[in-house]
Amino acid sequence: MQPNPVPLDQVDLADLDVFERNEAWGMFDTLRREAPVHWNEEHDGGSGFWSITRYDDIEMVDKDPETFTSTRFTNLEEPPEEYQELRRSILETDGPRHLALRKLLMRDFNPAQLRRYEDFLRGLATLTVDTALQQDEMDFVDAIAADYPIAVLARLLDTPEEMTPQLISWGNEIVGFSDPEFARVLVNSEESQKYRHLPFSSPVSQEIFEYGRKLAAERKDGDGEDLVSKLVNRIPEDGVPLSPEHYDNYFLLLVVAGNETTRQAISHSMKALMDNPDQMQWLLEHPDKMQQAVEELLRWASPVYHFRRTATRDVELHGKTIKSGDKVVMWFASGNRDDTKFDDPYTLDFTRFPNDHMTFGKGPHTCMGSNLARFEMRIIFETLLPRIASIAQTGEIDRVRSNFVNGIKRFPVRIESKQG
Amino acid sequence: MTTKTTVREHEGDMLVESAVLGADDVLVLTLVDPDGDSLPAWTPGAHVDLILGPDLVRQYSLCGSPADSRAIRVAVLKAPDSRGGSVAAHALTEGATVRVRGPRNHFPLVTAPRYVFLAGGIGITPMLPMVAEADAVGADWHLFYGGRSLASMAFLDELSAYGDKVTLVPQDEAGMLDLASILGDPRPDTLVYCCGPEGLLGAVEERCAVDWPASALHLERFAAKATDAPAEGERSFELVLAGSGLTLVVPPDRSVFDVIQDAGVSVLGSCHEGICGTCEQIVLEGDVDHRDSVLSESEQAANDAMMVCVSRCRSDRLVLDL
Repeated sequence: MQPNPVPLDQVDLADLDVFERNEAWGMFDTLRREAPVHWNEEHDGGSGFWSITRYDDIEMVDKDPETFTSTRFTNLEEPPEEYQELRRSILETDGPRHLALRKLLMRDFNPAQLRRYEDFLRGLATLTVDTALQQDEMDFVDAIAADYPIAVLARLLDTPEEMTPQLISWGNEIVGFSDPEFARVLVNSEESQKYRHLPFSSPVSQEIFEYGRKLAAERKDGDGEDLVSKLVNRIPEDGVPLSPEHYDNYFLLLVVAGNETTRQAISHSMKALMDNPDQMQWLLEHPDKMQQAVEELLRWASPVYHFRRTATRDVELHGKTIKSGDKVVMWFASGNRDDTKFDDPYTLDFTRFPNDHMTFGKGPHTCMGSNLARFEMRIIFETLLPRIASIAQTGEIDRVRSNFVNGIKRFPVRIESKQG
Repeated sequence: MTTKTTVREHEGDMLVESAVLGADDVLVLTLVDPDGDSLPAWTPGAHVDLILGPDLVRQYSLCGSPADSRAIRVAVLKAPDSRGGSVAAHALTEGATVRVRGPRNHFPLVTAPRYVFLAGGIGITPMLPMVAEADAVGADWHLFYGGRSLASMAFLDELSAYGDKVTLVPQDEAGMLDLASILGDPRPDTLVYCCGPEGLLGAVEERCAVDWPASALHLERFAAKATDAPAEGERSFELVLAGSGLTLVVPPDRSVFDVIQDAGVSVLGSCHEGICGTCEQIVLEGDVDHRDSVLSESEQAANDAMMVCVSRCRSDRLVLDL
């Protein structure tokens, strides 16, 4: 479904209302066509940013960390200099140290490891679907999309079951930092100034840190196979141990990145399947193509709208001069709709192959959990779709007010199931 | 038409006398003439070309002593995003030969009473002979040496001899080089020499443009990274996908990833440069030629996994569990 065109002078990707209304797509289209390097003022005290919206340009920026550094933070927020070291995580690190930190856990998401989780994931998916389908009417987000990834995360972190609701709500608050319904303290609000030493300027970060530290203390020098044990007991290959701050931020990242984005991807995918019954039917007839379909659903969903870089020198691009120090925003969601890369980008097409989408990024910071996310999605839909006799939306979809996560808060549906 | 004067440069094979790691991902190569002949003279700031393949020529600053006519020394950073030169250079081991052209100097040390030297990462290499010369002639100098972390910064031992004339700025502990204060006092008697990544060079240029004399700044900017490594020198091999029951051929100019995808088999990837780890596959058989930055040496040696976007196979047959 092609979005309505938006005139260039009305494009404003700092306006969160636009995202809440799901109207960024028309702006992305205009920018890719007319202004591929576009200056966007910010209204909350930010210094403004350049929007990069074409696939090839985004890829170029993401793959050139020398010129477009992550070390000056990667969301639109500009943390004060004095708090940057406290808040720095693997996301805001480049170069050999970044790779060393990545390697701490990178291979825990490789194919050999993921296979070990397959039985667990299938069991969990079945349990989730069985539980959800005990009722006809449900909020799809609550019943299926949120529970399942967080349960996977709880297993990877080896946290007790009673912590699961807490993990969900932490994830909500952090990722929904600009949504008044989720965030106790809105980013860039006066109140948030007190928390500028914390990630996302959110007091929730402190709670997550404290829980992470408790787990770390319990597991230090143990032989646990969970991610926390590995994080506290492994030494990065450069020989420099993880600092307490880096541990805190690494843990927070696992809690947030590990579940929130997958949940959004699952919700968006269900919506896409409902809006495209022919594709849903094709998938039911071609169950062996689920992996390929998941790639298209990931392109479609684009649960993370953007990440930010900062120019380290003046760069000329498409006739514009990006000055050293300027914020440069890679709109991955826009790259996923670039018609020079994807034919009919607004058509959901499960036969699309290859499908080199940029949902997980393109450079050295590519999502570490991408293969786990793909695996989770494949298994939940392999489990869920054959159980659905019919599914219908029963109310409005509420979206997260954010230009960072492309999120769905509420998605009321009625499902007629095939069994039980 | 004017006729260019062609100066014939020295070019010949040199013997790798030693190849040792000087820091994380920094390989220090000492090169000598295979017959023990003395080498062409050079001055601080000079570099040579290492001819690593038909279209794979890379410049490296000389970082030994100009007084040594027996051996030259270069240091090579294994760049995670490089697809050619640094990987080929890192494959050099003691006893190997490598074709070398030069030396030549586009970055000479101009005589001055006072110097500020700025090095970022592997940009330390031309600075070593420069500070040695500045010190020998009694100039007033200071070197600021930035890097990602101490573990990534080469030649710290040698530099320790200069005491407090050298300031080390590992980014993970001390942040970036503080150019505002380092270059905050423009003096007509001072020259600024800088070598390092583009980000540093740009920032130094910008800072010096404010209030330094136009001739004060000297910097070394190697040509932009060349494009992809050429296919020449690559070999083809058979690729068996055990799970899919397919037998394919990987030609010299295609990656394993491409060939799998061309066959219609779903293979996941992202960076296509061997740095993100997404495309890792389980290896059942074959002698993998690892070219990624993800696996450690021991993980590579285990030969049970590979990044199919960049790594290839030394044996004739590669079998993947896919």
